[in-house]
Amino acid sequence: MFQPATELMMTTQPLLLLENIRKSFGAIEALRDVSFSVGRGEVVALLGDNGAGKSTLVKMISGGLEPSGGRILFDGEERTFRSPLEAKNAGIETVYQDLSLCTNVDVVANFFMGREITKKVFGIPVLDEKTMAERTAKAISDAGTRIPSLKVNVEHLSGGQRQAIELNRFVYFGGKLVLLDEPFAALGVEQTRRGLEMIRRVSDQGIGVIIITHIMQQAFMVADRIVVLRQGTVAGDVATSKTNLDDVIQMITGENIANLSAYQRKEGLPRTV
Amino acid sequence: MFVSRQMATIDFALDNLVWLILLVVLVVFSITIPNYFQIGIFANIVEQSTFVGTMAIGLSLIIIAGNIDLSVESTLALAAMVTGLLFATRGAGMGFAFTPEWLVIPISLAVALLVGAAVGATNAFFVVKLQMNAFIVTLASFIWVRGLVVAISGGRSAQSLPDSLRFLAIETVFYVPLIAWISIGGFIAFASILNRMPFGRHIRMIGGNKVATFRAGIKIDRLTTITFIMAGAIAGLAGWLLALRTSGATANLGTGMLFQAFAAVVIGGVSLQGGVGSLSGVYAGVLLLSSINTAINLMGMPAHFTQIIHGGLVLVAMLLDTLKTHIRARMI
Ligand SMILES: Nc1ncnc2c1ncn2[C@@H]1O[C@H](COP(=O)(O)OP(=O)(O)OP(=O)(O)O)[C@@H](O)[C@H]1O
Ligand SMILES: [Mg+2]
Repeated sequence: MFQPATELMMTTQPLLLLENIRKSFGAIEALRDVSFSVGRGEVVALLGDNGAGKSTLVKMISGGLEPSGGRILFDGEERTFRSPLEAKNAGIETVYQDLSLCTNVDVVANFFMGREITKKVFGIPVLDEKTMAERTAKAISDAGTRIPSLKVNVEHLSGGQRQAIELNRFVYFGGKLVLLDEPFAALGVEQTRRGLEMIRRVSDQGIGVIIITHIMQQAFMVADRIVVLRQGTVAGDVATSKTNLDDVIQMITGENIANLSAYQRKEGLPRTV
Repeated sequence: MFVSRQMATIDFALDNLVWLILLVVLVVFSITIPNYFQIGIFANIVEQSTFVGTMAIGLSLIIIAGNIDLSVESTLALAAMVTGLLFATRGAGMGFAFTPEWLVIPISLAVALLVGAAVGATNAFFVVKLQMNAFIVTLASFIWVRGLVVAISGGRSAQSLPDSLRFLAIETVFYVPLIAWISIGGFIAFASILNRMPFGRHIRMIGGNKVATFRAGIKIDRLTTITFIMAGAIAGLAGWLLALRTSGATANLGTGMLFQAFAAVVIGGVSLQGGVGSLSGVYAGVLLLSSINTAINLMGMPAHFTQIIHGGLVLVAMLLDTLKTHIRARMI
């Protein structure tokens, strides 16, 4: 059973390997030669300022956008996901920055969107509302989220409750890789704490995680590795244990920390980590 | 728990508001209009609702899926005319017959459905494959399909469908002719599909948020195509029923029904924004329109009053829709 560490490194390829990914929107070059990898059970925090290209990169992995160049290797195979469905079928779950819920239907319908459980009635597949409602209720209460009624249309829910639905959804459906684009933006303190725990639990099952966040504290709490994008290129790729806040901020802004104003230091550097 | 139960009750009431309005209207008419309160009158209201009602099923599905189809009226006319031309015995009718005679039922029905599905498939091709605006595409179909009706009939009418078909429009069960029962059956069947099957759930979600459904891996293009074909085929069914009722078809058959169907759909609580509405509400909307038509007839008012009232009703329905949204927003 025992394997020397070096041999293990050689036999396990990363779950996701990005090689020289490029993406341009017309004249805008959103990403240039982006390369990094995510291992099984590894949590990678993808950091960078507004417009650095984080969401664009995530959309290319999740099948929403096609790269203009470069290779994506998933599970050791070169893949181009032409639609979110293909990515999903390969085992990639995504929580998007702009939430993707249908507010005109209830919580259960959203939870099982596109993956409804059916039962046969006279040979016709009919929605199994009862089973779906039970599983949704369980998933949501396991995560400690409180939603008044699962039968209520999502338009009646708060931003945080909506985000919780999406978060619980990926935990329930699992997969191999999870992409989280600012998943906690609308969550309260306690819900965020639970969310971070959830990410650890998911990664303990061997699922790879990429989490985008603007809150350094979260990145340091949950990530094994930090990858920084700046103006569409990788400005840093370091193990969380081998770096510190000042270095990361410097990678993000490209400025020496000493040059930042006192205010920026105060706002940008939550000293609690 | 109490709050959410109360919320559910209000939700239920708002969703079924149109049935309540129908009930009130019927009671008021029964009290104020002599001869209104009769089984025959009510049966007549149900019968009158058959054609607009059936057409409104397909229209509702399309609108709930976040699209629009203006072509259903012309599609209805085309299916009716093809039925008339093939199976009527007088006028432009060619009078095809079969042995045994009853075979004409499934064959004529299949032809009408196929004609409708073909128009729907054409619409879907332009909207889904070529990414053209559905309003424009189906407006074009509204025009060219009507043109086709005139062209294939040479402007003549086809009369006298065989008795083996006609009996469906004549025979009654509980005072209501079989064709009306077919329409009601259609409502029930498609309401079940919309509420209980993944297909129905998916088109409703597409109407609610296209991006979200795409990301969830729902095959939007495929489902939109199916919805257009369905709406066409259902319009074909409506045309077949109307041909049976009028025992043939004229080139201008069904003109004006599109507006009535839209009125019924809106009154029934279907939002033109997509994603919201139920077929039960739409059926109540159709019944409401027919009830008012009947009242106007009985009171001997000139027919143009019907138009004024229908127009007013659509405005009231839109107002109600805004009001409902308001109440719902307050509840939270
Ligand atoms: N569809 C598009 N068309 C044109 N430009 C785009 C498009 N999507 C993104 N961009 C551009 O690509 C760059 C990267 O955008 P992206 O959304 O990936 O940034 P981000 O790192 O996620 O920022 P934020 O932190 O604000 O979410 C930006 O300059 C943006 O304007
Ligand atoms: Mg972003």
